[in-house]
Amino acid sequence: MRALAAEVAKLVSLPSVWIATAAGVLVPSGIAAINASAARGAITRGARATAGADLGYQELAFGVVGVIILGVVAISSEYVTESAESGGGRQITTSLTAVPSRLRFLLAKASAVAIAGASLAIVAGAATMSAVRVVLGEHAPPLGTDDVPRLAGVVCYWVCAALLAFAITVLTRHGVVPLAVLIANTSVVSVTYLLTKITPLANYLPDLAGAHMFVRTFAGGTVEISPLTGGLVMTAWTTALLTVAAVAFTRRDA
Amino acid sequence: MTVITIDDLVKRRGSREILSGISFQARPGRVTGFLGPNGAGKSSTLRILLGLDRATSGTALIGSVPFARLPDPLATVGAMLDGSGAHRARTGRAHLRWVARSAGLPRRRVDEVLEVVGLTNAASKRIGGYSLGMGRRLALATALLGDPEILILDEPVNGLDPDGIRWIRTFLRERAASGRTVLLSSHLMGELAETVDDVVIIKEGRVVADGTLEEVTGSHGTLEDAFFALTTGGAP
Amino acid sequence: MTAVTPPVTRSHGREAARALAAELSKLVSLPATWLTLGGTLAANPILAIAFTNAARHGPTGPRSAPDVGLTSIAYVQAGFVVLGVLAACSEYEGGQIRTTLTAMPRRSLQFAAKHLAVAIVALPAAAITAASGVVLAAGALGGTAAPTTAGHVVRTLSGAAAYLALWTLIGVAVGALVRQTLPAVVAVLGYLFIAGPLLRAQASAARYLPDSAGSAMWSSVDGGAVAPARGALLVSAWTIGLIAVALLGYRRRDN
Repeated sequence: MRALAAEVAKLVSLPSVWIATAAGVLVPSGIAAINASAARGAITRGARATAGADLGYQELAFGVVGVIILGVVAISSEYVTESAESGGGRQITTSLTAVPSRLRFLLAKASAVAIAGASLAIVAGAATMSAVRVVLGEHAPPLGTDDVPRLAGVVCYWVCAALLAFAITVLTRHGVVPLAVLIANTSVVSVTYLLTKITPLANYLPDLAGAHMFVRTFAGGTVEISPLTGGLVMTAWTTALLTVAAVAFTRRDA
Repeated sequence: MTVITIDDLVKRRGSREILSGISFQARPGRVTGFLGPNGAGKSSTLRILLGLDRATSGTALIGSVPFARLPDPLATVGAMLDGSGAHRARTGRAHLRWVARSAGLPRRRVDEVLEVVGLTNAASKRIGGYSLGMGRRLALATALLGDPEILILDEPVNGLDPDGIRWIRTFLRERAASGRTVLLSSHLMGELAETVDDVVIIKEGRVVADGTLEEVTGSHGTLEDAFFALTTGGAP
Repeated sequence: MTAVTPPVTRSHGREAARALAAELSKLVSLPATWLTLGGTLAANPILAIAFTNAARHGPTGPRSAPDVGLTSIAYVQAGFVVLGVLAACSEYEGGQIRTTLTAMPRRSLQFAAKHLAVAIVALPAAAITAASGVVLAAGALGGTAAPTTAGHVVRTLSGAAAYLALWTLIGVAVGALVRQTLPAVVAVLGYLFIAGPLLRAQASAARYLPDSAGSAMWSSVDGGAVAPARGALLVSAWTIGLIAVALLGYRRRDN
């Protein structure tokens, strides 16, 4: 518990984490506001009857970039030596002397990332859905019981994405590569989506499978995946990568 | 023969005044010790002298020009600030090589300075794997590359082992004896008393003593006593 | 001893050549340079094959080899941006910036030398990246490819190479402004992959932004894009503007 408290304290004192928070909240709510305004225009012109069922949710899939940054910097900050006056000291040495059990250290850090990721997802979800409602006004689709599992899906998706980014960075020890690859893959047409054009198996990659938890319509979707299956597939990926990361981390030199 | 002249240097960061009118000279043929407690402004003064930081007002000159306008900076001034001043992913030799290229120095010079500081065997190792002392030796090797007329060293003995400390003392004395200018900062009094000719002591951004070692030590007996008398307690 | 009297006037040409040699030496002795370039050059063929496959099964009619083979540029540009950011931000590791500025105190000259050195390394890599994608696409598409002219191939290939090199320089400039690798990478890639495409979908003025204008240099897919030559001019202007802003900061700041 003390290790977890220390990791949460470390996380919130990182300036990059506040960049991550800003990105995670502003990106989806901003885009949702723009898209909602476009939808409103279409509705008042009579071009469309209602706003799409995915309005808000689709945008939250992009906001995941916030927790990706969070997961990456949580671990890469332990290895960074960029500060000119640091004299080459790396925080990981201090961390591992404070919490000598590597597994406990990693577990505490992963829990801190999961907690921060979930909190960020809740804030971003609320901000995005409010933005949609404020912009659309009376045209807003009512929030119903159907939305509860979908929003829970968003939180689950964000937590898994944060932990995936975290696990990959534990393996690389440097944040740039995972960050570059994961941001590139958050783009509108993601690499994983393109892979589905080659093999339907690509639908079971974590980001695509996980998105089924809250996005309802997939353009050119080639495989039917239920929200529950999607969530389980993403969780399985996350668990597997965290396990690999833990094995590597406990075996190598800090 | 080049004199270092610091004239009425003031540096403000935000509302905080770090230097409040520092003036002194470091002359050729002498080792000048620049002393002060942590946070007194030693590093800031040296960084302004090297053109790394900008002064709010005042001048810091090498001969008659600011550092940034020297025709051949590496052959005029060798500087060693804190740390290694090198990227950890490179090898020691690769680091010295790019610095040598910036001044058009031959490759042979890199091996010479590696030999001088005793890093020849570690030259092909990544700097990230160096000990603190090795990093400092690499920084000194970098300072010596251009065989400069002036050496400016910030806390040079920091991180060195006793052998290294004795070696650097002899080395700096030899440089001064050959007519070059040596300016070094430190807070290690005992060490300095055996190395320096002239002493400048600063406290809270102001010079509180400036003269030869004998003048500054004066009636205090040792440089250390003089230092504490000048830098602790009330205003000088 | 005999004092070495420095020459009264310094030779600007020789000083510039030395600064460039030093910056090139820094870049090639940094393992991250080769890891980034190697990773990018290895990822590109994989993506190019994936895109070619996707294009063959896609609903649209036959497409030409450069058209398909260059699609991966939109993704591998991430590698080039990272290369640029690392070149700039590596200065701030281990206090190397102090060594750099004491060895080369003329900051504008050193800054220009750094950008030139990065361009010298990035341009051949960009050309290889672009060419490998098109060759792979041509091989995989075979007779099913839409016909194209040699002029079109040359234009899109050189456009793609120049585009990647320019974005590498944008990476250097942003890296020099931000001075920390991760925030700089987040800023540029966040723009390229998230903000840029979304702006493009919403506002027509977005085609003058460096990503959309730049893609006109090599992509023939975008309907409402600017003309290729104009796109090249626009990205160059953006790049120079960003470098100028970064230089202003670099000259003023304490290091």
